[in-house]
Amino acid sequence: MKGRVLGILVLLAWGVAKFSFESRLEQRMENTRLGGFKPTVSLRQQAGQAGFIAALGGLRAAVADLLWIRAHTAWHDVQYGRMKLLFDTCTAMQPRRILFWDLSAWHMAWNGAAHIENHEPDPVVRKAKMREFFMVGKDFLQRGIESNPDSWELYERLGTLYKDKLKDFERASKAYDEASNRPGHLEYTRRFAAYALAEVPGREREAYERLMTLFNESEHEWLLTLFRHIQNLEAKLAIPDEQRIWRTVVKFAGTPGKAGSAYAALTDLIKTGSREPAVIEAARALEQKMDIPAERRVKLPAQDKRPTD
Amino acid sequence: MTTESSGPAVAAHASAHKLFSLRRTWAIAANTFRDLVRQKVFYFMLVFGLFLIGTSLLTASISFQGQLQTVMDVCLGAMSVFTMLLAVLATAMLLPKDMEDRTLYTILAKPVSRFEYLVGKLAGVTMILLVATLLMTAAFLVVLYFWQGREIENLQLTEMPERAAAAIAKVKSGTFTSTLFGGIGVIFFRSIVCAGLTLMISCFSTSWLFTVIISLMVIFAGYLVPMARSVWQGPLGTAEVPTHTAILLRLITVFVPDMQLFNVVDDIAVGINVDADVFVRIAGLGAGYLLVYLFVGWLFFAWREL
Amino acid sequence: MGTPAITIENLTKEFTNPSIFNRGKVTAVDSLSLTVEAGHVYGLLGPNGSGKSTTMKIVLGLVVPTSGRTCIFGRDSRDVESREAVGFLPENPYFYKFLTGSETLDFYGKLCGLGGKMLRDRSRELLALVGLESAADRRVGGYSKGMLQRIGLAQALVQDPRLLVLDEPTAGVDPAGSHDIRDLILRLKQRGITVLLCSHLLSQVQEICDRIGIMNHGKLVREGPLDDLISIENQTELTLENVSPALLAELRERAEAGGARVLGAHKPQQNLERYFLDVTAGKK
Ligand SMILES: Nc1ncnc2c1ncn2[C@@H]1O[C@H](COP(=O)(O)OP(=O)(O)O)[C@@H](O)[C@H]1O
Ligand SMILES: [Mg+2]
Repeated sequence: MKGRVLGILVLLAWGVAKFSFESRLEQRMENTRLGGFKPTVSLRQQAGQAGFIAALGGLRAAVADLLWIRAHTAWHDVQYGRMKLLFDTCTAMQPRRILFWDLSAWHMAWNGAAHIENHEPDPVVRKAKMREFFMVGKDFLQRGIESNPDSWELYERLGTLYKDKLKDFERASKAYDEASNRPGHLEYTRRFAAYALAEVPGREREAYERLMTLFNESEHEWLLTLFRHIQNLEAKLAIPDEQRIWRTVVKFAGTPGKAGSAYAALTDLIKTGSREPAVIEAARALEQKMDIPAERRVKLPAQDKRPTD
Repeated sequence: MTTESSGPAVAAHASAHKLFSLRRTWAIAANTFRDLVRQKVFYFMLVFGLFLIGTSLLTASISFQGQLQTVMDVCLGAMSVFTMLLAVLATAMLLPKDMEDRTLYTILAKPVSRFEYLVGKLAGVTMILLVATLLMTAAFLVVLYFWQGREIENLQLTEMPERAAAAIAKVKSGTFTSTLFGGIGVIFFRSIVCAGLTLMISCFSTSWLFTVIISLMVIFAGYLVPMARSVWQGPLGTAEVPTHTAILLRLITVFVPDMQLFNVVDDIAVGINVDADVFVRIAGLGAGYLLVYLFVGWLFFAWREL
Repeated sequence: MGTPAITIENLTKEFTNPSIFNRGKVTAVDSLSLTVEAGHVYGLLGPNGSGKSTTMKIVLGLVVPTSGRTCIFGRDSRDVESREAVGFLPENPYFYKFLTGSETLDFYGKLCGLGGKMLRDRSRELLALVGLESAADRRVGGYSKGMLQRIGLAQALVQDPRLLVLDEPTAGVDPAGSHDIRDLILRLKQRGITVLLCSHLLSQVQEICDRIGIMNHGKLVREGPLDDLISIENQTELTLENVSPALLAELRERAEAGGARVLGAHKPQQNLERYFLDVTAGKK
């Protein structure tokens, strides 16, 4: 008896002592975003009793994977409601798993919306429902970003969603910007931020300057889309002729040993609307120099329609 | 028994009696280890091996992204559950068996203190757990290596080159990380804490089954500690908590170890790097639990009628 | 005589009944006092449940007394070091069944702080002493009752203790085995080892004990040197061989003339144990 009383007293003392240590360690781990998982009542409701218990017992990640697989079965069965429920659970259980957020958003905003587009006959309802799916996808990405503020992938996906689905180029540009500020990002995110900005009414000047920065940085940035955006803006902003990019490209065409890339750039200029005789002339000169067969030469501006990418 | 009586008496060893002798403790630990090995506890590992193979086959049959991560998640999860079960089941048997067979009488009738006996038993189980963890880790690494290869192949086939290179580099540098091994270390540590807890419980429990059930319940409740603590520290989200539940949750916070802190592995597969100081703190906390459990177990055991 | 091997002073042990339905107390040992002098073989007798085993466990520190105290060679039983000079063989001993006989001795030797060659030699010697050399490398799980009892004895002797406490050392052992155990105890006694044993095989106790105590309901009811307790002071037994009836009648007359009374004359019977041992002697 004596032993038991003493033992329980010691346990009690330890319990009080450990309390603040555990509490601080939890905080510390939360800070490294380690213990991002905290069982909440709503998670329990979603995960179902069995999954919840297993999730607590060290099998959280494994159970999340299992539910993820179930979500994909639901996809094959075209059950988008069920998919969303399962995606919510998976992401709640494993909030640091970027793939979960990314694919959940993609399934909703792309596949789900496409399904509506193909199956909803009433155009008004169709539009509303599709928008609903876009918003669900956006919500996944935004929650994912909350749990993973360092992820460039989620910002990139969010930018694409704003650009392609919601047609909100200002927000798209901002999301791409965020992506390009994060470690591990791929180069194109910076480009996409500027491209999206070019489509925002009222911010043409700013967009032009950013595009020009890209243009002046290196010839590797001389892509068709960049040329198209810059040439559009040159016209809109009435940029003086001597500052237009075709001059730089024509000058570049004279650089020895760069014939191949210079010709590609000239071609892209023409395709994106350049009608300058100097450009055409330079292109033709290179065609001759490089012996490009007639059928592969760039078509005359007169034969062109509006350039597309 | 027809031989002649023994020769010269064994040299006098009755020098000063040490309060705690490593030699005696080690004898008990080694014996516990040997006894468990001969009881074929490692058959348990065979089940783990089969589980790994099964998981691999299952994962292979579902073809979409994240196979490597799934394998990692499932294997680490299985490891943490297996070591925990092994710790509880192997430890729960020790005392009841010694009492039932009355081997405890012969051991404690030697100049062995009950504390040495408990430490020895725990050390023996720790050795078993160490060997089991090493075996499981070896099997796990082989499986992981195989799946890393598969993942890289997949990425080469499916991703656009610009993304593939980055993704492959990530898979290569992100699979066998120091955090992964740290996490396995935490799994091992947690299993010792579970063993210590079980040993403490078996010091006052009267049956094997009771020990197992109570231990598992405490460990399970350990995963609720963060939630219980948040009740203590403030309102739990929007949920209404009735008084008796609040009291229960407070008891849990005080008497139950926070198992969630030992649950690092769930996050490791995601590729989060855990700082060394977190591991040190977890280890420190685990050591604290072990000492307390041993001491309290000894308090229970010292006054116990055998 | 020096320090007694065991002193028990006013010892009482109450157990709480483990059954929840009947939470009464059982007094297993009731104000028991006794002393075992060094070099003696002391027999503790009593019916089942009289508290013999409980007394032994308290002496060995395995059970905490309710009141009173016990010492081994002057050291309190509660101190771990009091156990350095004592070997214990519990009732129906059982050992780790996955260990072999010699591994078992090794283990117990290490618990006593022995090791190395000394322990190996000691263990071999003890296996020989108890006649288990041939079974030394077999697992204890396969041992018979008698073999368990013997490995138990060897284990008790491993650190060459000055005191042996044996709880029913011959229970469940066949007569030959039990005879061997008795011989062994006598040999140990010759080497000056003190023995406390309990048994209900009275004939054996009678053969080896110097002193006995009889317990009943936890109390010591009789205690003293064996000879004093059982000899009948005013009677003398006479055993004759090849006596003729005439001679017998004459003796009877002479005795009565001298004032003695002849209580009976009958053929002495062999002790059944002796008889059994003689008949089965060829087997061994
Ligand atoms: N651990 C225990 N718990 C409760 N009662 C016990 C315990 N051990 C012994 N007893 C009781 O104490 C009494 C004495 O037992 P014991 O010492 O074993 O007798 P003996 O060895 O003389 O047969 C018995 O009535 C027994 O039921
Ligand atoms: Mg008894």
